[in-house]
Amino acid sequence: MTNSNNVRSTLDPTVLAVIANRVNAILREMTNTLLRSGRSAILTTARDFSCSIVTGDNRLLATAEGLPVHIFGSHLQTETMTRLHTDIRPGDAFLHNDPYSGNTHAADHTILVPVFVGGKHMFTAVAKAHQADIGNSQPSTYMPSAKDVYEEGALIFPATQIQRDYTDIGDIIRLCRMRIRVPDQWYGDYLAALGSARIGERRLIELVEKYGPETIEAFVEEWFDYSERRIAHALKGFKSGTYSASTAHDPLPGIVEESIPVNVTATIDAEAGRIEIDLRDNIDCLEAGLNLSRATSVNSTVTGIFNVLDADIPHNHGTIRRINVMLRENCIVGYPIHPTSCSMATSNVADRLINVTQSALSQATEFGVAEGGASLGAGTGVIAGKDQRRGNAPFVNQLVITAMGGAASAMADGWLTMGVPVTGGLLMRDSVEIDELKYPIIIDKVVAVPDSGGAGKHRGGASTRVEYGPRFANMSVAVMADSKINPARGAQGGLAGRPHYIALRDIDTDVETEIASFGVFDVGVRQRIVGIDAGGGGFGQPWLRDPARVLDDVLEGWVTAASAAQIYGVAFSGSDQALAVDASATAELRASLAKA
Amino acid sequence: MSYRIAVDTGGTFTDVVVADPQHNLTVNKALTDHSRVFNGIREALGVTAAGLGVSLDELLSQTSIFIYATTRATNAIIEGKTAKTAFLTTRGFKDTLVLREGGRPNAYDFSVAYPAPYVPRRLSFEIDERVDAEGNIITPLNEAQVRDVLRELKALDIEAIGVSLLWSITNSAHERRIGELIAEELPGVPFTLSHSVNPIIREYRRASSAVIDASLKPLMQTHLKNLAVDLKAAGFTGELLAATSFGGVMSVEALGERPIYSTRSGPSMAPIAGKVYGQAELGARDVIICDTGGTSFDVSMVRDGDVVFTRETWLGERFLGHLTGLSSVDARSIGAGGGSIAWVDPGGLLRVGPQSAGSQPGPAAYGNGGELPTVTDAATVLGYLNPDNFLGGRLKLDVPASRRAIATVADPLGLSVEDAATGVMKIASEAMVQAVQEITVNEGVDPRECLMVAGGGAAGLNIAAVVKELGAKHVLVPRTAGGLSACGAQFSDIISEYSATLLLDTRNFAFDRANDVLADLDRQMDAVAKDLETRGVLGIERRYFVEARYEGQAWELEVPLRGNRFDNQADVDQLVGDFHAIHERIFAVTDPGSLVEVLFWKARLTAVVAKPSLVAGGQGGSDTPHASRIAHFEETGSVRINSYDGPALSVGSRIPGPAVIEEPTTTIVVYPGMTAIVTSHRNYLIETGV
Repeated sequence: MTNSNNVRSTLDPTVLAVIANRVNAILREMTNTLLRSGRSAILTTARDFSCSIVTGDNRLLATAEGLPVHIFGSHLQTETMTRLHTDIRPGDAFLHNDPYSGNTHAADHTILVPVFVGGKHMFTAVAKAHQADIGNSQPSTYMPSAKDVYEEGALIFPATQIQRDYTDIGDIIRLCRMRIRVPDQWYGDYLAALGSARIGERRLIELVEKYGPETIEAFVEEWFDYSERRIAHALKGFKSGTYSASTAHDPLPGIVEESIPVNVTATIDAEAGRIEIDLRDNIDCLEAGLNLSRATSVNSTVTGIFNVLDADIPHNHGTIRRINVMLRENCIVGYPIHPTSCSMATSNVADRLINVTQSALSQATEFGVAEGGASLGAGTGVIAGKDQRRGNAPFVNQLVITAMGGAASAMADGWLTMGVPVTGGLLMRDSVEIDELKYPIIIDKVVAVPDSGGAGKHRGGASTRVEYGPRFANMSVAVMADSKINPARGAQGGLAGRPHYIALRDIDTDVETEIASFGVFDVGVRQRIVGIDAGGGGFGQPWLRDPARVLDDVLEGWVTAASAAQIYGVAFSGSDQALAVDASATAELRASLAKA
Repeated sequence: MSYRIAVDTGGTFTDVVVADPQHNLTVNKALTDHSRVFNGIREALGVTAAGLGVSLDELLSQTSIFIYATTRATNAIIEGKTAKTAFLTTRGFKDTLVLREGGRPNAYDFSVAYPAPYVPRRLSFEIDERVDAEGNIITPLNEAQVRDVLRELKALDIEAIGVSLLWSITNSAHERRIGELIAEELPGVPFTLSHSVNPIIREYRRASSAVIDASLKPLMQTHLKNLAVDLKAAGFTGELLAATSFGGVMSVEALGERPIYSTRSGPSMAPIAGKVYGQAELGARDVIICDTGGTSFDVSMVRDGDVVFTRETWLGERFLGHLTGLSSVDARSIGAGGGSIAWVDPGGLLRVGPQSAGSQPGPAAYGNGGELPTVTDAATVLGYLNPDNFLGGRLKLDVPASRRAIATVADPLGLSVEDAATGVMKIASEAMVQAVQEITVNEGVDPRECLMVAGGGAAGLNIAAVVKELGAKHVLVPRTAGGLSACGAQFSDIISEYSATLLLDTRNFAFDRANDVLADLDRQMDAVAKDLETRGVLGIERRYFVEARYEGQAWELEVPLRGNRFDNQADVDQLVGDFHAIHERIFAVTDPGSLVEVLFWKARLTAVVAKPSLVAGGQGGSDTPHASRIAHFEETGSVRINSYDGPALSVGSRIPGPAVIEEPTTTIVVYPGMTAIVTSHRNYLIETGV
């Protein structure tokens, strides 16, 4: 037992544990409500939403089960609410999507419900959900080429009141319905988020009434202190020092011609249990939608930190007290000033920032993590067209049929269905049958690609090859994929994952033509769009991987026999199902690999 | 022919419940003998027979029905000991079992490896064929290629085959033809076709059902046959039935053909007992059933008189185990029980579980070398368990060892051993409170308006505290609590389910297509009903359900249908109205303007069989304690409390807390401020004082 165990608290320690569990249960119920009642696939399948609870004085209390890219920032949004509105009362709800005052990006409509007990504003229940449409100038919530927020065209709500006395404010609803392309779907998703926040409100009131406001207030402070002790304790296991790392996002032809570097410098004081991350040595904001907001700059960084810490540590104001993220104004990974566009602030550069933070910290801890694959390519394409089966009704939807291998770590191979790093693997995959039922498409293939996960002592997650196309008439497919020129890097001797690949294949000639990583492409009925997403980076030298696991990788088709010999240094005897490791030949191969 | 026997064979214990001709139920337990399951059954039955004053031979030869529930299938899957199984699927989709439906237990935990598929990739094979969403054949089945694959399987000594092709739910011709080819090329090798085991849309779930079912066939067919042989040899000539995950029973021959129905069949029986007891004692129609064992706490629910079902049954942990894909009794399990270990985390917080001491070494109190503090040790320190009368005196509890173990968490927290033990009990209870809330509150049910029924060997220790924390007025602990699942099996009917997938929108409702689907479900049931009628069932009931959603939603809600035909728009409007009401209850919102669509159609056939009725307890007994001891409670500190011998209590006795009631298979703690009442059926109703 360590010294930090001997902490005396004023609150009964059992009560502390019980209330903390209750708060998490409230968040789970909020999450479940949003997930199951949400309308658009981006909520119900991609899980692009999160719920959190903020204290009345705007400190982040809990964020359980939220998407990593959402974990930080709801307290900035509630702060905006309390600053702009002086007559907040029970029954109010506010809509916030302003990336300049705390939101992630404009597509994340956030519902803030202040929770009152005995006339006091004790908490704010927060439900944030990515919308299918937000009234942008183009029918997409992702606008990589937008020069500024005007060209984006999104409606921006800086904590705008949307309910009073538990009733919608019709003006705001009508405004949204006039400018949002799928008004019924938007309203359905608004109801799902509102229902989630209202359930949070109901349960928080019950909690305070059960234990009394004094106990709950004591709990909040104790819980922050506890969380702070947990991260301080965890950081004691790190090596003090300053660690830098760089990565780069691929160029966007026509907008940015060169790779976009992302740099971090981390300084760890293990004894003091503190960590500082400096993001100021990065390029200025671009005249494009790729810039991060303040919220996503910070939360991508803390996600990178949390990914190398014990996952049991709570993520709240108390934890963040030990983390200092240094940002500067008008920096691509800092905070943009209005009207700079940060339409894409929750993906792409954010994925890179998570990756580079965790690989920098891999130098300081036994428990490192490589870079995760990050390509929103054909396997997550946004398809649009008309459905002959339904009287040519128009359709638009983002598919999620791919795997996108996750980063390997010091303890495990990369998670196969990781999605992009900002999702933490929480997203669900579509059913091929459900996609074919709902949209006039045919999917020919979703199969894992050998050698696509970065080699290492622990292997990066593999990627998949997908092939699909329209059944009756041309459709468009939009992609915005990183990780072709700059695939996910390995860490501590691990190798990079496979770069992504996107092509169009002509069914009649079987000719496959590679296409650009960003853009909207027309696909005909005698064509297929083909994609292989980016694999995850490996961790540790490949020739340190357990030969028995390499054997299994070969038998299972994750690694080819050639790579097993050349990269992992494992030789086999026998063939097919009778394949076995040749120990002496393996020892020789590995000795020469280690020398090289 | 007058006895009925129900058995639940668990990983550690075999529970046996015998109903005598007067409908009295007797519970006994024995250790499970995994090499020959009948050995454990015989041991427990022998004890029961002696108590009834008959020989084992007499008991078995006079038994009309023997119902068998087992964890055999579930354990074989979790331990990876099923048949060597191959997976056949459509060209392009061999990774259906690998890729699953996504999801990850924790976004930040990079120490957890991605789970291996149920069938390895090396045993997954793609077949040249393709059917589209409307059932048209795009690529005909290449029979020559199928035969090549099957010959390869033969060379690999494959023991079972699961076949799941895309869209076999709209056109099953290719799957059926592959079945014929398997019978030709690999005679005797069992196989399962996905459209026949679980005809639902979503290829992963259907494929998962098919391969799990196939992989269990060799094992379960042998297992069930051995039991039948052993029973026959022991003189049993009655009907042998097996419990299923539908909360019903079926013939063992039928289960051998569909062994996937055997998975989690034990926990699926507990709510049947809860339903019967709740109805008999208090006329309750909304019942929450909690079953606490040594390592797990299972919760299930009866709502408006019906057991609640789910399509999300995981074998093993969510996202790490395997989804059965079936609609089955919603029995959720958390790792919390008497063996859960208490610890202090690096931030100084007291935690309980998820690690468990299991049965080896077990709690420190068992004296088997266990040193870590468990929930059982906390109960021992607090004086809730009688050290000399645990498991009927078979195990003497080591109180000093429990105190030493609890001190390892008390010291760093600066608490007394008693206060730390109270904390351990409370935190263990909290996990159970949350498990109950998830199955109720998350589904729009208020647990305070439900009757709680508790069972399991460890149930009595803290269930009253759990129920009070939930805000409910009382909890019923049946005298047979020690074997709640086996007890449920005594009251179960023959249940089978039939389903179909058809997407229909309720604004332009295709009456013909809907009625065709329902008529087809009826036809399937007709065949089964005809057979059942010859077997002397009391009656047959048919019920129909759809799973529906608002357009665009990804997940459906189950809505009972009010008939088996749609004759006019009013029938459709009724369905839509019912859907809105269920959506409002669960999600607190409705969207009356939105289109409602139906995806799944389901029918359940229940053949009601003769079963015991709960009888009033006899006269006699008293309400005086048989001993007293010191126990510790948060409200009172250490006090002397009475302990009662459960079987000696008279009907109507009121036991004021703090007190304990010792039953042969469980100990019930009556906390301060609570009262336990011995009901007319000789069960215990604890009033929590809320």
